[in-house]
Amino acid sequence: MDFFGQFFVDAMLLGGIYTLMVIGLSLSFGIIRIINFAHGEAIMLGAYGSYWALTILGLDPLVALPLIMVAGMIVGMAIYKISIKRVLTAPHINQILLTFGIGLILQNLALISWSADERSVNPPYAFDSMMIGDISISTARVIAFAVATILVVGLFLWLRRTELGRASRALAENGDAAILMGINVTQMYGIVFGISAALGAATGVLLSFIGAISPFMGFHMLVKGFAIIILGGLGSIVGSVVGAFVLAFAETWVAYYVPGGAGWSEGVAFALLFLILIIRPRGLLGQAVEE
Amino acid sequence: MPRDLRTVVPILFAIAFIASPFVGSPQISDWLFRVSTLIMLAVSWNLMANAGLISLGHSAFWGVGSYAALLSANAFGLPILASLVVSILFGALLGLFLAVTTGRLRGIFFAISTLALSEGLRITAFMTPDFTGGAVGLFLDQALRPSTTMLYVIGALGAVATVVISYIISISRFHFACRAMRNNEGAAQMLGVNPYRYRLGLLAISGAIASCAGGINAWYGGYLDPEVGFSLHFTILSQIAPILGGIHTLAGPAIGSFAIVAISEGTRIFFGQNEGFSQLIYGLVLVIGILFMPRGIWGALVAGGGWFSRPAKPVTAAPSKVQAEVKP
Repeated sequence: MDFFGQFFVDAMLLGGIYTLMVIGLSLSFGIIRIINFAHGEAIMLGAYGSYWALTILGLDPLVALPLIMVAGMIVGMAIYKISIKRVLTAPHINQILLTFGIGLILQNLALISWSADERSVNPPYAFDSMMIGDISISTARVIAFAVATILVVGLFLWLRRTELGRASRALAENGDAAILMGINVTQMYGIVFGISAALGAATGVLLSFIGAISPFMGFHMLVKGFAIIILGGLGSIVGSVVGAFVLAFAETWVAYYVPGGAGWSEGVAFALLFLILIIRPRGLLGQAVEE
Repeated sequence: MPRDLRTVVPILFAIAFIASPFVGSPQISDWLFRVSTLIMLAVSWNLMANAGLISLGHSAFWGVGSYAALLSANAFGLPILASLVVSILFGALLGLFLAVTTGRLRGIFFAISTLALSEGLRITAFMTPDFTGGAVGLFLDQALRPSTTMLYVIGALGAVATVVISYIISISRFHFACRAMRNNEGAAQMLGVNPYRYRLGLLAISGAIASCAGGINAWYGGYLDPEVGFSLHFTILSQIAPILGGIHTLAGPAIGSFAIVAISEGTRIFFGQNEGFSQLIYGLVLVIGILFMPRGIWGALVAGGGWFSRPAKPVTAAPSKVQAEVKP
């Protein structure tokens, strides 16, 4: 247990990023009831956005972040208008395959335009780290954690305190009643889908200065995101936060304490997912999900 | 079309398909081989979809079948057919495992579980190099390799057998039970269908078929690594062929398989080897198909009165049939 402190700090910092990643996914499922298999591509495009902002415009990722989030929101709303809107009442199979197809299109557009080469964004703080006692803490990860926390808290405040946020929660609770109260459902769904995409893009920006950027990065994150929301309970936003930290701690633990763990830690999400499906399919804090 | 033709045409087509390696050029045989394995994969996916189970992890079955075939052949010197039996067994076992772990889960939960299964297996294959060869990969013992013509024939036979199996299922009680499960699992249960038992059987059959296809392809390719065996590519192909051809129909997956191989060859000729272009087209096919042509090519062709498809009529007939067989 020599490096317990180091393990704890690393797991916490990872958990913050996972939370931001999964919260957009959870938002679109909880409110629109669409499980978005293209969310990973929002992350990937966000990361490329950060790369090009630095390369072409010389903008620091943190400065580019709001711009990229706005762009993500616009693209998300456009995708909603063009396609998602048409399958809201369609069977799940159509929704899943549609978003999967959108993801495939975005991923391969990126692959064709920017090749499969891995890239990285190196702002001044990318390789900095500080020492507290014998615990080494990467500055980039601390910044990412802080930004993620601000965004997640911001989302909670939006959902609780603003008129639009309250309207979207009403839609999640009871769609028909919300319509009777005069809430414009189509418009609300568009906004929520846009916010979900913007949060995905923000995750990409944070990941861009922590790890490598490639057209396939989104898909790996997506699968982890699904594991997290099943872990926490589909449709529960608080559950997603808990699930994100459970996964982060489990992955980091395997990486630190299991021989050859760095490779196996990638598989932890799937092992946890099957475990939770067998033991408690509703997830840790899940609500019952109707078909 | 007269009733006789409905049986004669498919049989003639199947015979021509199996005979093609002996007469066609190697290029055509190679295309038809890819069509064959894709038909197996697509029919297997469609069988699950018929029961409302959306698989996003068919590469799990494909990969397990590939590894089972090559590892058993290399270790015991098994000939191809014997090693394919091993593939089929492991595929069926994996299907049973999936059925047991997912239990009564449907829709999204099931889809995500299958996705996780294939990703998990890919990582396991990477992390157990002593067994699978890991990232370095695994070669088939060249001394065992049968002639290419033989491989083509086995592929064609596999495809024909798969379509026959799905035909037999489509006229059996099994089909109506699956269909009832897709529409309303609770109601199906009230009519005396045990969804769990049917699911076990269905996933075992479907898994066995997809694994067999993976096994045949592994013999053809002669090389495997985790990225090749568990590639997401096969998951995408397995769902896109039935969607394009006509989901929930008998002929749809087969027609879709021909169309997909044609599309992928077409994009290769126009855009060169860049894998991105064919994947991009697949994505477009998926999106446009779902939005504008949810019944696929076959559905559009036979809209109304089906030749192979089983449109509206049996839906009302199905419950009474099932009901009649329920013992009090």
